[in-house]
Amino acid sequence: MPAKSDDWARAYAKQALSDLDARETLALAGADKCHRLHFLQMATEKVCKAHLTSRNGHENVRKTHGYIEKNLPIIARLFYSRVNSANQMAMWEIKHIEKIAREIELLAPACDDGGTRQDNTEYPWEGPRRDVQVPCAYSFPNIDDESRLIVRLIRLIRTASESYSA
Amino acid sequence: MRSNKSDTARNLAKAHFANEPNLKHIHLLEPVNEDDPRDPIKLLEVVEGTLERGIEPIAFPANPGRGIDYPVLIIEVSPKEYEDIRNNVLTLKSHGWSMGSELSAG
Repeated sequence: MPAKSDDWARAYAKQALSDLDARETLALAGADKCHRLHFLQMATEKVCKAHLTSRNGHENVRKTHGYIEKNLPIIARLFYSRVNSANQMAMWEIKHIEKIAREIELLAPACDDGGTRQDNTEYPWEGPRRDVQVPCAYSFPNIDDESRLIVRLIRLIRTASESYSA
Repeated sequence: MRSNKSDTARNLAKAHFANEPNLKHIHLLEPVNEDDPRDPIKLLEVVEGTLERGIEPIAFPANPGRGIDYPVLIIEVSPKEYEDIRNNVLTLKSHGWSMGSELSAG
């Protein structure tokens, strides 16, 4: 029997949780920032795919790209409204998540903002002075992955992933 | 020279209070193993309005450039979960931890 969209949504969500587990292991081991961000980006991408697949169906989602910026804030609103729809903290947090969602999306090699953002967590790229930039030696100044916002983001991804994988 | 874990935890708490408007309390969790630099500092942070997920540590690496010489685990809980921990309804013991001193913003 062919897999249904719900099966795919569960699968994406399960993989998101595993990606976050990998990030935890890497963070404790002191791995380079590119690796921590890589698994954070992967988990974010998977939870957004789980969300979209559960709503729009697998066939309409599987080949789409560039959906984190739009959908991560939607997921945040959805799950924080379950805590308390009038939650001031949630509104503050969602604003921050909107900001970081775009930067997380740009960490993927396939997303380069029309060629203006070559920095990514996986492959070397040509820098502004035509030098070669290496992910493991790059500081990724647009994302502070040691900030408290990362705690909130990871907790959101886990909550949503557990919901979609149930 | 490395600062010790207790001092590092105090500095982290100040920074977190300065950046998190809904942060109500921070406790250092014990044991604090000063002899093993790989053993993380563990901070229980009580945040109003957070998603309730029980005791769920999130790891951060050491960053000597920022004065953090040890890995850190942040365990974020809601005020209700905090009360549950204090009343032994929610336990830290499964991780081998107990509540230590409260850290202040100042």
